[in-house]
Amino acid sequence: MDDTLIISSSPHVSANNSTRKIMLDVIIAMIPAIIAATVIFGYLVLVNCVVCAAACYGFEMLYEVLFNKKRAKDCSANDFSSIVTGIMLALNLPTYVSIWGWNIKSNDAVVFSFDMILVCLLGSLFAIWIVKMLFGGIGKNFANPALAARIFLFLAFATAFKAVFATDTWGQNVTTGATWLMTDRLAPITKSDLIDMLLGTRGSVAVGETSMIALALGYIYLCVRKVIDWRLPAIVIVSTTLFCLVFDGLIENKLTGTALLYNMLAHVMSGGMVFGAIFMVTDYTTCPNTFWGKFIYAIGVGLITALIRIYGSYPEGVSFAILIMNIVTPLLDKYIVPRPFGYVKPKKKSPEAKKAEVK
Amino acid sequence: MLGTFRGGIHPYYGKEFSKDCLIETMPAPQTVYIPLLQHAGKPCEPIVQVGDEVVRGQTIGKPVGNGAPIFASICGTVVAIESRPTATGRCQHIIINGNGKNDSIRLQPLDNPTPQEIDDRIAECGIVGMGGAGFPTASKLKPGGGIQRLIINGAECEPYITCDYRIMLEYTEKFIDGVRLMMRSCGANEGIIGVEDNKSDVIADLLAYVKEKNFTDIKVIGVATKYPQGSDKQLIYATTGLKIPKGVRSSSYGIAVNNVHTALDVYLAVKEGQPCYSRVMTVTGGGIANPKNLWVSSGTLYKDIIEYCGGINQNNPPVKIVNGGPMMGKTVMNEDCSCTKTTSCLLFLTKDQCSTATPTACISCASCAGVCPMHLMPMYIEECTLAGDYDGAEKYGANYCLECGCCAYVCPAHRQLVHSIRKAKSQLKAREKRNG
Repeated sequence: MDDTLIISSSPHVSANNSTRKIMLDVIIAMIPAIIAATVIFGYLVLVNCVVCAAACYGFEMLYEVLFNKKRAKDCSANDFSSIVTGIMLALNLPTYVSIWGWNIKSNDAVVFSFDMILVCLLGSLFAIWIVKMLFGGIGKNFANPALAARIFLFLAFATAFKAVFATDTWGQNVTTGATWLMTDRLAPITKSDLIDMLLGTRGSVAVGETSMIALALGYIYLCVRKVIDWRLPAIVIVSTTLFCLVFDGLIENKLTGTALLYNMLAHVMSGGMVFGAIFMVTDYTTCPNTFWGKFIYAIGVGLITALIRIYGSYPEGVSFAILIMNIVTPLLDKYIVPRPFGYVKPKKKSPEAKKAEVK
Repeated sequence: MLGTFRGGIHPYYGKEFSKDCLIETMPAPQTVYIPLLQHAGKPCEPIVQVGDEVVRGQTIGKPVGNGAPIFASICGTVVAIESRPTATGRCQHIIINGNGKNDSIRLQPLDNPTPQEIDDRIAECGIVGMGGAGFPTASKLKPGGGIQRLIINGAECEPYITCDYRIMLEYTEKFIDGVRLMMRSCGANEGIIGVEDNKSDVIADLLAYVKEKNFTDIKVIGVATKYPQGSDKQLIYATTGLKIPKGVRSSSYGIAVNNVHTALDVYLAVKEGQPCYSRVMTVTGGGIANPKNLWVSSGTLYKDIIEYCGGINQNNPPVKIVNGGPMMGKTVMNEDCSCTKTTSCLLFLTKDQCSTATPTACISCASCAGVCPMHLMPMYIEECTLAGDYDGAEKYGANYCLECGCCAYVCPAHRQLVHSIRKAKSQLKAREKRNG
């Protein structure tokens, strides 16, 4: 049996954990959001998810085989991180767009959108090749691929995305496009508006970010599985809320009482803030590695989101806020390094000692 | 509220294999291969020659500098003195062929020794830190060294190992007396025994005995069950709240930390005059037929121990044989190595018990930083090491690392973080040597 003994460096045991398991956990956490989106917006959501996930997986595999000369079974794509990117991207897009007019319609409702499939493929290519693989693949990308692809698509097809106002495929009168942030921020908010926002039946630009209840389920799952630090999304949400409360409620609109409270709650539940806080801010690679780094990062996301929402020309600022803070992350990681247990300041050599060394 | 520290992990403890096995004495083997390096420091010089007759307990190796003498563990004839591989490298071994006699040399037991007598006896009997480090105990417990608190490390946080647990359970009286002797030697006025709270039966036993004898100066403290609770800095922090800075000996803070087995050996040396030529070790893991806790003579080959424990588990043979625990122990090449004073465990890990996954890319999840008991950023140190930037590795605190293995244990990408940090440490050490 001598020839079967393994010699290795300690430790010899490891937690039963792997990158793939973490990614599967994130996919599971997104399932409630996918279900909610499908119920609210129709089956096109599922089509987009499958197209994006398959495209991201395929593009990563293709890149590795073509440029890194790897065999398919050794590819990093097998850790499923690209599938997470794909689903996240699909959840950040509307159900369909009309750009080249290749949509199939029946009774004025779009039943299949070739335009959207092309947009999905383009977004996946951008996310995986440009944002992820060109910078070194998993663990090395400077920004969240899904987020960067979403911003890319929204800027590239700005008119088309703005034009998405239609009844959904199941015929319910739900719009993908206009959120409270985009249309009627000055209109008074009622209790039923808030309930709509909570359930997600009010609609939104991106299909995944609409139902707060579905997102909360995903958040709880990720926290229970210890995939993410529960504090990070909490800080983002709380700080965004407080900044919006001050800037919008108190300074701009001078609201009081219930109106102020409703305004604040509408800010929390509208737009992509909660989705971003749970799934994108917590992206391992692009968030700082220390608690205080994460803290500053999260506060930064909150502040920039509030500034863009209230003073910027875009109605929705989370994606830009996260992207900006993604770029700040290396800086935070460089300067915020925890002190080791029992830290002693390294002794600086006195000038005399240095001189003696030279001699 | 249990004392603990920030960081650490909760691995599978695997204590059930040998937890309930009474300590047995393994009969001395026919031939022993006694390494001349059984402590931290320089190897001993042999003071016997090939052909000499030796008796058990006879000094056969003389320390060079700060070390501990080495004793014959069986009666017989020295047949060879040669270099052989050990679990950690190579060193000279004295090979003794037994003659079947069961004599042994014992020193005069001391009834009411002075501190200096205890310390001399500890040095004479070659007692070293039995937890694994092998630091000579006598220099730790020197009278007048300003030690006020003696901490006994009964945490036994390494998975699978149960020898300290069995000692505290079976030799409670001898153990506590040993602790008191150590306290008298170094002049400590407080003895703290830190035990992980998963060994509640031990805590209860110790408390009952201490109460019965009215030893008010001995405190038994339960600490949280968490790896690496038994690391000395972490244990000092958990039991006293003191943070020992890097590069400072705990004795500057009036604290000495010692192992459970060391306390037992001090008792045996002082009260029974027995030199340190055997120890209790745990033979465990899924790959051995009958896990046991054994008194093993030093120099016994692993092969003989395997045979005594019923051989390899044929249905599930081990893929790794580890000298020590699964977190910090060292794998051995074959069963021809021999036990030393510091071999606390021989672990036979089967394929499903140990990790053999290939490393993948770091996903920057910072789990390693979260569990590091020294609050380091292992992934940065690894990145620097792999890039050959040892200055960077030093800046990120490579030299603070305990090599406890928590980081590599949790890493979802199975990065060999400890290995990289070890490399950085050895490179830094070599560089320091070069630069004088």
